[in-house]
Amino acid sequence: MRFLTKLISVLGLSLAVCAQVLGGEVLDRVMGNKVLVMSTDAEYPPQSSLNENNEFIGFDIDVGKEIAKRLGVGIEFVTPSWDVITAGKWAGRWDVSVGSMTPTAKRREVLDFPAIYYYTPASLVVHKDNASIGSPADASGKNIGVAVATTYESYLKKDLVIDAEGAPGFEYQINDAQIRTYDVDNLALDDLRLGDGVRVDAVVTALPTIMDSIKNGYPLKVVGDPLFLEPLSVAIDKGDAEWGAKLTEIVQAMHDDGTLSKFSEKWYDADLTK
Amino acid sequence: MQWVTIALVAAVAVVNIWLIVKFPFQLQVLIAWLELLALFLVFFWSFDLSYEYIWSRLRFLLGLGLQNGFLMGAALTLFICIVAILASTFIALIAALGRLSDNGVAFGVSTFYTSFFRGTPLLLQIMLIYLGLPQLGIVITPIPSAIIALALCYGAYSAEIFRAGILGVPVGQTEAARAIGLRDAKIMRLVVLPQAMKLIVPPLGNQFIAMLKDSSLVSILGAWELMYMARTHGRAEFKYIEMLIAAALIYWIMSMVFETAQARVENYYRKGDQR
Repeated sequence: MRFLTKLISVLGLSLAVCAQVLGGEVLDRVMGNKVLVMSTDAEYPPQSSLNENNEFIGFDIDVGKEIAKRLGVGIEFVTPSWDVITAGKWAGRWDVSVGSMTPTAKRREVLDFPAIYYYTPASLVVHKDNASIGSPADASGKNIGVAVATTYESYLKKDLVIDAEGAPGFEYQINDAQIRTYDVDNLALDDLRLGDGVRVDAVVTALPTIMDSIKNGYPLKVVGDPLFLEPLSVAIDKGDAEWGAKLTEIVQAMHDDGTLSKFSEKWYDADLTK
Repeated sequence: MQWVTIALVAAVAVVNIWLIVKFPFQLQVLIAWLELLALFLVFFWSFDLSYEYIWSRLRFLLGLGLQNGFLMGAALTLFICIVAILASTFIALIAALGRLSDNGVAFGVSTFYTSFFRGTPLLLQIMLIYLGLPQLGIVITPIPSAIIALALCYGAYSAEIFRAGILGVPVGQTEAARAIGLRDAKIMRLVVLPQAMKLIVPPLGNQFIAMLKDSSLVSILGAWELMYMARTHGRAEFKYIEMLIAAALIYWIMSMVFETAQARVENYYRKGDQR
């Protein structure tokens, strides 16, 4: 019996220790190990994907490498799935997510967003044979595909709250969408390419992703102007203000000296960082 | 016109079967396999796939080379499965003995374990182990999480297979062993288990082939096994189907190797039946 009480108290104690993230802990770990561990979802070209040598390439990858360089450390990538990243409670498995994440109010409950590094337009896309959807409002009540746990899904559900300073406003143009969720955005585009209305009538996703798929021969077309502009931020686990401040400082410097604009031109053929 | 085509195809199929059955059995099997395989290939051929793309990324799917100093692709899938198979067999044997034991605690622990791990989805167990253990302060990386989840899940199923195998050995065997003065542990090890194995091996082999494919579920943790490599490289240049078909063929070939291994082990334990 005494053993049991001891065991329970030891377990309780270790839980309490774990729950408490100490200030500066992540920063100390990164500087101590001389390596920045960054999570990335390699299923999102042109942000992050694997090239023919099995190496990571993309806008997010370049930004992550630059951050590591300015910290004076090396970089390592880990590849948990998107919902594992957005769930928070990283337990020190990785230090930062440079994953084009929109700071929403719900995500802010489990993550911190120290630095916005660019803005991506979200657009509605249809099959090129489609004649009935001429503007986003025409997509009301239609079957629309989105990736699960994304801002695009929140937009269709009308519970999108972008929680960042200087985020441009937007209005909901699509009503009562029949939402079909997918594991990743590209799977929704794969279904859309099968034909107009075969599985979905339209898809909402990032404009760069759409343009990349069209470049690769997908028979799709963008509808109207972007639905909203989402600020995309570097994300860290909750509770380490020093680490956040360091990232804010580095990313601000990358904004100021034009490094981010250069990366953006390279991957998106446009400066999306302003 | 359509009817003519259908009639023609049907006629060819009938003549084909009529011709094949004239051959000896082994040859019939071989021809049937080859013909189905050819149809299969024609089916994929019609997709107009980019074979250069498959070829250029095949070595990553197969896992030739290292990623961050560790295995990847099919090699990692095999590694995860083999470790999980060994662990699950051990767990299953313990759980089966617990289930057959007179000790109430052992019985309770064993039934609770099999009930939970057979009663929840493997995908959920993988997530629970990967995300849940860090809450207790135990932070493990994706590959150990995957191995633990697969071993525990398949251990629970295999426990039932072991139990059935042990119960399938006639009680007379135990009685006879006791009559010549063997102790319980020795009876189990020397008399019952060797005879139980021939009942256990076929369904156990089945489990392992199933595990080989279920290991694809751990791709959600970002372990760079075959399914993960196929998905990620498929995404890179919008060549998803290409990578999925290549991965399917690799899984299939690996399963065939497992099947062959199972047949050999089965033959070994059936030596007692040969006269």
